[in-house]
Amino acid sequence: MKSSGLRLSGLRLLGRLGGMVLVVWGAATVGFLALRLVPGDPVDVMLGVRAEVSERVRAEVRADWGLAEPPFVQYLTYLGRLLRGDLGTSYRLQSPVAEIIGSQLAPTLQLMALAMFFALVLALGSALLARGPRSKALLSLVELFAVSSPTFWTGLVLTTIFGFGLGWFPVVATGGLAALILPAVTLALPVAGIISQVFRQGLEAASALPFVETVRARGASHSRLVLRHTLRHAAASSITLTGYIIGSLLGGSVLVETVFARPGLGRVALNAIINRDIPIVLGIVVLAAVVFSLINLLVDLLYDRLDPRLATAAVYS
Amino acid sequence: MRPRARNRSPLHTSSRRRGRVFTGIAALATAALLAGCSTSPAPSASDASTLTYAISGGTLSSGKMDIHSSAFQVTALVMRNSFDSLVYQETDGTFVPWLAKSWVLSDDGLHYTFTLRDDVTFQNGEKFNAAAVVANFEHVVAPETASADAASLIGFAETGGYYAGTEAVGEYTVRVDFTQPYAPFLQAVSTAKLGFYAPGVLKTKAAQLGAGGAGISVGSGPYTLTSYTPDQEIVFTANPDYNWAPEGSTHQGPPEIETLRFRILPESSVRAGALTSGDAQIASDITPNTVSQIGDDFTVEKIALPGLPYSLFLNQNNTQAPNGGVFADMRVRQAFALAIDIGPAVKTIYQGQVERAWSILTPTTPEAYDASLEDTCSFDRAAANALLDDAGWTERDSDGYRMKKGTRLSARWLAWTPVSDANASLGDVVQSDLKEVGFEIVRDNLEVASYYGEFEKRSYDLSDWSFPSVDADVLRAHLHSGGYKNGSSVSDPVVDALLDGAVASSDPAVRAGLYAQLQQWNAEQVAIVPISVSSAITAYSSAITGLSFDLYGQPLFYGASLTAAG
Amino acid sequence: MRRASALIAGAFLLLLVVCTLAPALLTSADPLQTDLPAALEAPSLAHPFGTDQAGRDVFARVLYGSRYSLAIGFGATAMALVVGLAIGAFAASMHRLGDGVLSRAIEIVMAFPEFLLALIVIAIIGPGEAGLLVAVAIAVMPAYARVARVQTLVVTRAGYVEAARTLGLPRTATLLRHVVPNTLGPLLSMATMGVGTAIAAAAGLSFLGLGPKPPTPEWGLILSDGRNFLSTAWWIAVFPGLVITATVIATSVVGRFMHAPQKRRRA
Repeated sequence: MKSSGLRLSGLRLLGRLGGMVLVVWGAATVGFLALRLVPGDPVDVMLGVRAEVSERVRAEVRADWGLAEPPFVQYLTYLGRLLRGDLGTSYRLQSPVAEIIGSQLAPTLQLMALAMFFALVLALGSALLARGPRSKALLSLVELFAVSSPTFWTGLVLTTIFGFGLGWFPVVATGGLAALILPAVTLALPVAGIISQVFRQGLEAASALPFVETVRARGASHSRLVLRHTLRHAAASSITLTGYIIGSLLGGSVLVETVFARPGLGRVALNAIINRDIPIVLGIVVLAAVVFSLINLLVDLLYDRLDPRLATAAVYS
Repeated sequence: MRPRARNRSPLHTSSRRRGRVFTGIAALATAALLAGCSTSPAPSASDASTLTYAISGGTLSSGKMDIHSSAFQVTALVMRNSFDSLVYQETDGTFVPWLAKSWVLSDDGLHYTFTLRDDVTFQNGEKFNAAAVVANFEHVVAPETASADAASLIGFAETGGYYAGTEAVGEYTVRVDFTQPYAPFLQAVSTAKLGFYAPGVLKTKAAQLGAGGAGISVGSGPYTLTSYTPDQEIVFTANPDYNWAPEGSTHQGPPEIETLRFRILPESSVRAGALTSGDAQIASDITPNTVSQIGDDFTVEKIALPGLPYSLFLNQNNTQAPNGGVFADMRVRQAFALAIDIGPAVKTIYQGQVERAWSILTPTTPEAYDASLEDTCSFDRAAANALLDDAGWTERDSDGYRMKKGTRLSARWLAWTPVSDANASLGDVVQSDLKEVGFEIVRDNLEVASYYGEFEKRSYDLSDWSFPSVDADVLRAHLHSGGYKNGSSVSDPVVDALLDGAVASSDPAVRAGLYAQLQQWNAEQVAIVPISVSSAITAYSSAITGLSFDLYGQPLFYGASLTAAG
Repeated sequence: MRRASALIAGAFLLLLVVCTLAPALLTSADPLQTDLPAALEAPSLAHPFGTDQAGRDVFARVLYGSRYSLAIGFGATAMALVVGLAIGAFAASMHRLGDGVLSRAIEIVMAFPEFLLALIVIAIIGPGEAGLLVAVAIAVMPAYARVARVQTLVVTRAGYVEAARTLGLPRTATLLRHVVPNTLGPLLSMATMGVGTAIAAAAGLSFLGLGPKPPTPEWGLILSDGRNFLSTAWWIAVFPGLVITATVIATSVVGRFMHAPQKRRRA
């Protein structure tokens, strides 16, 4: 009984790992195909049709991507290099893509982590504060505003007020925590709006359940009710929301890093796109796929540990 | 129940598998925090031995870190710290010894012989000697380098150049030969663009010079490039062995400030903000709009640049358009210039900080400016309309633009990104003013690599830039039929002869006369429409003392020092 | 309450449609006409949203800008809807293997954040107005394809479709006559909310300089033009930002209102 359960979870883990590999492989393939499907010389696609580049760089691209080989061989070579962790070379910056991405990972992760923290605090705080119908209506309005304001605009307004105007925070990244606060708040606002919405919808649904009355009857306070009982019910599919949140943070970091002149992956991505540095773009595609599937894997594994009842639910619905 | 999608719209959240989300969020936050915490904090900017300099520098990452191939002034601004020159040009225009102890020009004006210092070493330990000079000048003119500015400065051209070669006469003696007298040479070798790489780097890392970086951009200067993060920052560290400052320099030996951090901040408001918040001690490319934002605690150094003003280049031979495009016709060029109300535009957009330009050389260009052109070309919409009518652009289409034989009077304006706010607004004004005379301007802003691809082909009608230079010979690059910056596709034997003549003469009066003729030629032909006298506006805090500026308005950090309080 | 806010939101969207079709009704100013003596003027009766660095009326620019933003928002959403529906319905009508491959492919694309996806598409096809439209459409398309596939599966298994098939109606005819109309409902309410997302994404991309060329009065571009003037002339960037926010709010309020009856019916 026990051993079969173990085998089962082992199989499930294998299955999930397989799914993860599938997603990463798929992303890499889609990226590769997209480049090949665009009409014209792949070298032009890689460097920009109008770009002025020396023959030396063109030859470098041809050799790196094996452009003389048949497309299938090129594809296999590309996958083989990916397997070894080789993401290619940026022709513009003359250095390996893995190195460029690696060196810029930390600032973006710091930003995302703090934003995530702020989002949770804001969402939880507002769920605890909003009790009456009036405050709930106000909260839902604030949520709507937070979710709907473009990140780049909120960022600009926040720096103008708190950076330039009041001088509470530095306007450029200095490496300290103070410089991280405004960008993180900017990035956190829409995410906080979503989490708060989910909390509130869940709370409303859960409040209608009979057990809430029971808990109330036992004299539990509002906060206790929120924290202990209804929050557990107040949630959407983890994959939906986690995916959305990561997406929001990753996509938002491009804008936030640009607005706040911060170092990080977002700016690397944007500069690569503007300058058509395709090897970097492909590298980021693969990285995003890895991150996304890793987080999903982690969530599922953790969840299995915490609530085995739901373990049988399919990973992808 | 109807199956629901796993969609990512914020307002669509299904309420299945509740509870999982918290686990997910917690896992994400923990993972990210762990990753975030493992990184070491960046050094504090308030460190008394570190100077932070906010520059715009948005183009550097497009392979423009190489002094020998880049045409951008920002390359010189950054690299001056790592690269020395043979001679040093004082602010009064005279030349003093630097890496060359002395020099002689032969009587026929064809040979410069430099006697070099024998105590100079590159930052990687290699010796600076005649062979290093030869290797560098050979690199400048080599076809693989595809040099823009440096090759032109040295007098080289594929056809019709003056540069003949460089030869090591002795261990520390080098001779540069020309096919005809080349007066601007001494000025040219005083610029950072003709600075010297360690020969080993040229031998093994030539392909990486454009991308740049530590161990690649290796010179003999007072600062060593120790770290470079494209589009973010460039860090220089004092070269402890440095003991070859220009003769007469008040400071000698290694520089006072230990670390220079160049922060690349493309937005002018962010540069100004970095300065006022103390995150940077000095910021360049300060826009007139932000001067007021900075306040009185900072010194604002405004230097009107010599050379070619900010101008519009009307391409007479657009290779992609039938018959060379609309500007092949001189009347259309003249009409274009007359239709723009330049004076008020410059005054408003630069908020009175910058003067309008009247000629293709600025007033501070030594011994060349033709002041008689001032107040000559005034805004005249009626005259512009008459010229366009005369040129045959008489029909109008439904949008109100002029037509000729079914084609619209339209010009494509090519610019590279990032476009500064001032230039963008100026573009808006030009576009709006020309619409008034039925002339359409289509603006196309491209990233640097694509821009140069099109520039090389001359497949545009209009482009814009300014080109600071201490020598009026800058016009040769822009108007000579073989000039590398001849964005207007001028090909006129008379112009070529004037330019060749000016270069050959060392008599200032003769040169000034020839350059005046060239400026008047342009006033009539309108190959280039001068707009504004570009100025380098730099602001710095009182924490910096001993800062000086070169003739290009660039701060020189070698003799500067920082006080702790700032 | 819900009805009232939906009405206000609807009215706002209607106003935007008017701006798109006939902006001259609401302002006499030309969004491209520069007026140097009037540069950087604060909001006033003559210029409700103030003027920019070249003296252009920001109000007129924002009004005329609705044309680009709405065109991209609606255009990209419509494109995503149509292509998504086609892919989803196609996947659902295929046999297990084909359906499996297609659904996995959709899932893989969905693994990417919409904004990042749009950025990547622009990297490949190049910036500009058309590029922006296609990029946003491709970025939001997988979600529609996914819903369309599921809806198609549900509908095809419903009795009347089976009946139609037994009656001998050709496959494509069944698909067009019965399946497509019945899958459209949920897709349309999703699309209403999607328009707001698409507008915001497009504004973000053109803020980054990947959209239309200046001096096009596109909202993201106007905002970007004003970013260095926030301390001295806040109105250039603040008003377009407010309008983007209001538009996104309005589309989601209307979309939610449309979505609600369906939910009620389901329950």
